[in-house]
Amino acid sequence: MYAEDYTPFELMAVAGARELKDGEIVAVGIGLPVVASFLAKRTHAPRLTILFELGVVDPEPIHTGVGLADPRVWYRATVMSSFVDMLGMVLHRGLVDVGFLGGLETDAYGNLNTTLLGDPWGQFTHFVGSGGANDIASSAKRTVIIIRHEARKLKEAVSFITSPGYLRGGDTREAAGLRGGPVRVITDKAIFGFDPQTRWMRLESIHPHTTLEDVLANMSFHPLVPDHLPVTEPPTVEQVRLIREEIDPERLYAG
Amino acid sequence: MGKLATLAEAVESIPPGAHVALSGFAITRCNMAFAREVIRQGLRGLTISQCVGGMDADLLVGAGVVKRMIYGGGSLDRFGRLNNVNRGIESGTLIAEEYSSLSVAFRYLAGALGLPFIPIRSLRGSDILTRLQQMAPENVGVVQDPFTGEQWLALRPLVPDVAVVQVQVADEEGNAWIYGPRWDNEEQVKASQRVIVITEQLVPTEIIRRDPERTVIPGFKVSHVVHLPFSAHPTSVYRVYDYDAEHIREYAAATRTTEGFQTYLEKYVFSVQDHWEYLELIGGMKHLASLMADPILGY
Repeated sequence: MYAEDYTPFELMAVAGARELKDGEIVAVGIGLPVVASFLAKRTHAPRLTILFELGVVDPEPIHTGVGLADPRVWYRATVMSSFVDMLGMVLHRGLVDVGFLGGLETDAYGNLNTTLLGDPWGQFTHFVGSGGANDIASSAKRTVIIIRHEARKLKEAVSFITSPGYLRGGDTREAAGLRGGPVRVITDKAIFGFDPQTRWMRLESIHPHTTLEDVLANMSFHPLVPDHLPVTEPPTVEQVRLIREEIDPERLYAG
Repeated sequence: MGKLATLAEAVESIPPGAHVALSGFAITRCNMAFAREVIRQGLRGLTISQCVGGMDADLLVGAGVVKRMIYGGGSLDRFGRLNNVNRGIESGTLIAEEYSSLSVAFRYLAGALGLPFIPIRSLRGSDILTRLQQMAPENVGVVQDPFTGEQWLALRPLVPDVAVVQVQVADEEGNAWIYGPRWDNEEQVKASQRVIVITEQLVPTEIIRRDPERTVIPGFKVSHVVHLPFSAHPTSVYRVYDYDAEHIREYAAATRTTEGFQTYLEKYVFSVQDHWEYLELIGGMKHLASLMADPILGY
């Protein structure tokens, strides 16, 4: 049964969860990807393995953390190890199926920027940088980008490529020696994929209560738009209940 | 001569311009008491490195101690950004060699193994690499796989002069245990020429010998052992104490401007003689008791 009452954040978390298959290994940062991964594990993917880059596997937190460095999110983990173990011997080894990535901005090829806004060789404002994001974007079998749907975030060109998507399109990613690549971009208005040849972003579905005009008006580039455009599957009542009552009761991730 | 030392003695062993690897990650197990003592002693020109930049690095950079920072990006988690580091990068006063977390970890790993270089898949096609090729061309190169002929990005090993590591448990020889995830600490320690261990708890070697599987830092790499409770405050030490959210918020707000940070430095670094006076300043035992970790939860 589909829910009537849900927030854009909850819809995005559910869309993220639906990208994960049972038995897969997922590398996540903090925030919405954590909610999506825990939701998948409690519903259709009980054998999902969740990795945090600093060396934590499958935690079962009972309190919400402020970030990866918060021991709240390490609670009841099955492994506590290191970057070389997680990002090296699992990710670089080629065993991570899905990586979730967010950022300040992305372009039509799914190149992500978490480093700086402005001119990298002149005036700029520096933000966070890569952490494990570049490693995940380079070595995961596929990545899912989660980003707010705003013209300043969905850009014609990003200021800085921190985490490569399809670079300049076509086979430029493969030519650079990289694996995988982004398969989905989930925003609060729509879900996108990528054209298999050109690698340009392509609309897959638009969320309930949103119009195509609204989706396009809030982007700085024009995505490919298919003739038949489905509406995104809404969250179920049970998915919304799990997010609100068990996964993020303090509404810290949901913001 | 034994290895047990005061924090001041351990810091005095570091010459100006040295390369110091820091054990912190964002807001956990950061070398905070160490950073405050380095600033008080007026050490200058350091190179610092860590996989994810933390509050220790930000404090040192803000105080003008750091010339070069080798890191993989960083923040104070939800509390904010590394404002001092970011200001240094934006104004050009800090030379920042910025990588990804795994690239820095691989550079330590190559150093630890004594390898001449290490190939990596990360960074290719990114502007991180473009920037490194301009700023630090001596540390990034291309190597051909002798077996397949494939071209790989290669990184130069990191061999810090000293790793400074916050741990939960150590003995007088520096054999040390780290509880919780270790991020880059083991590779840092093994890549470095020597190690300064700063421990929450000092135990007899007999305790270490009963559970030697837990030893992450072997005593033979360690030059100084500093027994200093709450030395990571206001950051957390898993299973010992939680982060001090109120203090980190104050720091994040103060570092929004250089003037605000100078006020913070004056209050929490220069106005006290040592770590013990600092602990009194932040509220003493009454306040610290409120941060103690629950033994089941670890925070």
